[in-house]
Amino acid sequence: MFLYEFMQRAFQASILISLIAPMLGLFLILRRQSLMADTLAHVSLAGVALGLLVSINPTWTNIIMVVIIAILLEYLRMLYRTYSEVSIAILMSGGMALALILMSLNQGGTTLNINQFLFGSIVTISTQQVWMLYLLAGIIVILYIIFRKAMYVLIFDEETAFTAGLPIKTMSIAFNVLTGVTIAIIMPIVGSLLVSAILILPAAISMRLSRSFASTILLGIPIALTGMLSGLFTSYEYGTPPGATITLILLALFVIAIIVKKVMKQNQKEKITLKEQQ
Amino acid sequence: MFYIKVADLSFHYEKEPVLTNISFELNPGDFVMLTGENGAAKTTLLRNILGLLKPTMGEVTQSPTNRYGEKLVVGYVPQQVSSFNIGFPSTVLELVQSGLYQRGKWFKKLTEADKDQVKRSLESVGLWEMRHKKIGELSGGQKQRISIARVFATDPDLFVLDEPTTGMDKKSREEFYQLLRHQSEIHEKAILMVSHDHDELRNYCNKHIELVRKEELPWRCFSMNSCRELSKPRFSSL
Repeated sequence: MFLYEFMQRAFQASILISLIAPMLGLFLILRRQSLMADTLAHVSLAGVALGLLVSINPTWTNIIMVVIIAILLEYLRMLYRTYSEVSIAILMSGGMALALILMSLNQGGTTLNINQFLFGSIVTISTQQVWMLYLLAGIIVILYIIFRKAMYVLIFDEETAFTAGLPIKTMSIAFNVLTGVTIAIIMPIVGSLLVSAILILPAAISMRLSRSFASTILLGIPIALTGMLSGLFTSYEYGTPPGATITLILLALFVIAIIVKKVMKQNQKEKITLKEQQ
Repeated sequence: MFYIKVADLSFHYEKEPVLTNISFELNPGDFVMLTGENGAAKTTLLRNILGLLKPTMGEVTQSPTNRYGEKLVVGYVPQQVSSFNIGFPSTVLELVQSGLYQRGKWFKKLTEADKDQVKRSLESVGLWEMRHKKIGELSGGQKQRISIARVFATDPDLFVLDEPTTGMDKKSREEFYQLLRHQSEIHEKAILMVSHDHDELRNYCNKHIELVRKEELPWRCFSMNSCRELSKPRFSSL
């Protein structure tokens, strides 16, 4: 299977996505923005439809569209501070509606392309996409190393972060934009319907098993790698859709993590009871 | 010099006035107790002072530097932090260490002296042994003490504390007040603290601001009695 160039590219993409997913995913979960990835993926679809309609490379229209919406999301989040999910609901439905209208204006010949963006195709990744992913992963890792302390304080409590002198608005917008660009780049690979699952699940699993912030991100990487690589193998062997296979494997890992955690807690309780009896 | 100067501050939620005619100064070495009945907009006043809310009228001036000419560092302990309750993946040690970052450590490694400071802060609230615990596993009182340890690790010039002793027993409260008094009298730190423990706290602080409802004011609108000096034995003479 590794003799095929498309599989080599697919594995490279999987490894790179596994590297960035836990970092972005953990921040999204802790900022209560897990659904933001979904929103941006829906809006992304509108960006793709726009690109196809005006015959421009959809990746670029996609990136521009998600950057605008990522900024708008932060504005709406501030406006509905207590009900921040309202901004997600508004933009998710708005993005989907816009995508459907743009698609209907562009009837004939583009169904295949739209399907590819909806469901993803990890096995038809171009060399250009792999290079974009290398660049993106490099930027995200460097930004994480530089700003991890500031991000920790920001997501722990925004008000404390403000009093500590952090530019919380700029940081929030920059994070949203980075998430948007990531989604725009990985969406053609994993599909807009599953992109949020692939970003969120590794961090969600890792949160169940880790104690510290740093270990949550570190453990998230092998979890994401396990899901992505085994999903790719399974998909190749059985001809199932890659994005969906990866998501199901990550979900299975999530269930296993919950069970393992429960068993560990039970064992700990039993040990304490035994100690008390002695 | 002042660290905070509040001049004729008024604040309205939508169009409803909740605070009016608030003026005082917070200077290095001040330990100010802010009291008032429930709903007296004490937290709202703190949030105006910190810049989290914008006064409707009047102004709040924060000194950019401390009395040594260095950047003024503010340590804030809010009444509630929701991250404590949503399974935020962090150990006690990580959280307390994060208090040091604003001391110019955003992009630098913590030194041995910094780590000692964290250790002392955790020991001062009696939680050093729990440093590897996940913060979500702590009790309400322990979470409050972690917030206090974090702010002590920051070693701020100005402490802004919103009911930090909720959930603490009497002995822990008294130890905490002693620590604060030490900070204000020996290290000239400024402290503004919202509290309901009026009777206990008045033995430790040197000024008292009470938010009160005056007859001439609209319903739900609070103003202050003058910032009263409290007579108490100085720490050094105890």
